[in-house]
Amino acid sequence: MQEFLQAYSWINMRFLLNGLWITGIVSVISILLSFVLGSVLGIIRYMGVKYLSRIVGFLIDLIRNLPLLLIIFFTYFALPKIGIHLNVITSTIVAMTVFESAMLAEIVRSGIKAVPKGQLEGALSNGLNFYQALWYVLLPQAYKKMIPPIVSQFVSLIKDTSLATIIMLPEVTFRAQTIYAQQPKFIIPMFLMLAIMYFVLNFAISRLGGYIDRRMAS
Amino acid sequence: MSMIEFKDVEKYYGEFHALHDINLKVEKGETVVLLGPSGSGKSTLIRTVNGLESIEGGQLIVNNQDLANPKTDLNRLRKDVGMVFQHFNLYANKTILENIMLAPRLVLHRDETSNKKMAMELLDRVDLADQANKYPSQLSGGQQQRIAIARSLAMEPKALLFDEPTSALDPEMVNGVLKIMREIAQDSSMTMLVVTHEMGFAKQVADRVIFMADGKILEDAPTEQFFENPSEPRARQFLSQIVH
Repeated sequence: MQEFLQAYSWINMRFLLNGLWITGIVSVISILLSFVLGSVLGIIRYMGVKYLSRIVGFLIDLIRNLPLLLIIFFTYFALPKIGIHLNVITSTIVAMTVFESAMLAEIVRSGIKAVPKGQLEGALSNGLNFYQALWYVLLPQAYKKMIPPIVSQFVSLIKDTSLATIIMLPEVTFRAQTIYAQQPKFIIPMFLMLAIMYFVLNFAISRLGGYIDRRMAS
Repeated sequence: MSMIEFKDVEKYYGEFHALHDINLKVEKGETVVLLGPSGSGKSTLIRTVNGLESIEGGQLIVNNQDLANPKTDLNRLRKDVGMVFQHFNLYANKTILENIMLAPRLVLHRDETSNKKMAMELLDRVDLADQANKYPSQLSGGQQQRIAIARSLAMEPKALLFDEPTSALDPEMVNGVLKIMREIAQDSSMTMLVVTHEMGFAKQVADRVIFMADGKILEDAPTEQFFENPSEPRARQFLSQIVH
């Protein structure tokens, strides 16, 4: 009991919460960037543009089948070899964005495909061109259906930022490690606090996602 | 110049020969009904007219545009040729009013005031002005189909294609839709091509009846002649099964 109270001292907690803030910032920037990039890739794949859709499809499959950790290694250790030096935060954001864009591209593609075919035919027959049909009719319906999978993707992204401890991103897991490395008896309290922080953050996001989903459905 | 002209048109789905040597002319202002058993190619035929289905052989000229030519701008064609579907295909994410106003705004760049005015007039015409701010899913099938017709009319098309517009409706909803179609047919400048199983409508409104089976046009006759004295045995058989 004693070590719990010591472990959760204000100094330690502030140190952890600052880490959680970094986790949050990295996650939010990554999800926003990958939402845009993933949408573009998903739409290209949906459209079946000659060659381009094939290439995009191959890249998406490639990335989806690699461990995120390897992509983080690439951005942090391999890119400097070709003269691109990124700090840990930027490396993590780039790696996360690449990985999550591939995931989101598949969500977006299947989301658009799930809109009944008649919606596109109706729009085209009404005189809209393909891009107008996509923008005004297909995407709004597709994104509505995509809220649950996008939210769960966001939750995995937040959890996956902990992988960036390997390149010493000072996010919350890394900071917990720093604390118990100095004081080994804090190891269990730190794990417990990490679990609580991740759970509260992710559970709140899931709930918020569920709420938005229900609001949109009605 | 005819509004729609098929010359030796062929259409395949893989091995399946969906349209076989189709020759057909529809003149401006004419109302033509396509009849035939299911699977006879009626829907495929009507869907080639606005390019929803491609053709593999022959020539298809609609509103002076050549659909066999891959360079033809289908968008330009579809501005003038509207389509009404069996399952309405209203935009699920837009209100009724928005459904009608979207294409005129984006495609014809009609100004907002006259666009709204025209949409409300059309809603009035199909007797649904009080539903303007609802979403399609809140309306019955018959109401949705009347909106779909209003949406097509908002583009001020030269021709309208109807692909089994009443087949998905409850029986009590059918007449409301047919009444509007009858009114449109009375407008002498509108060309209408209608796939339907409504024999009463065909008898009353059609100038000509086309009878199809197995992807071929078997009979192309003035309406009265078709119903009184069809020359094709398949058509006679079809009528004896349907007309009670």
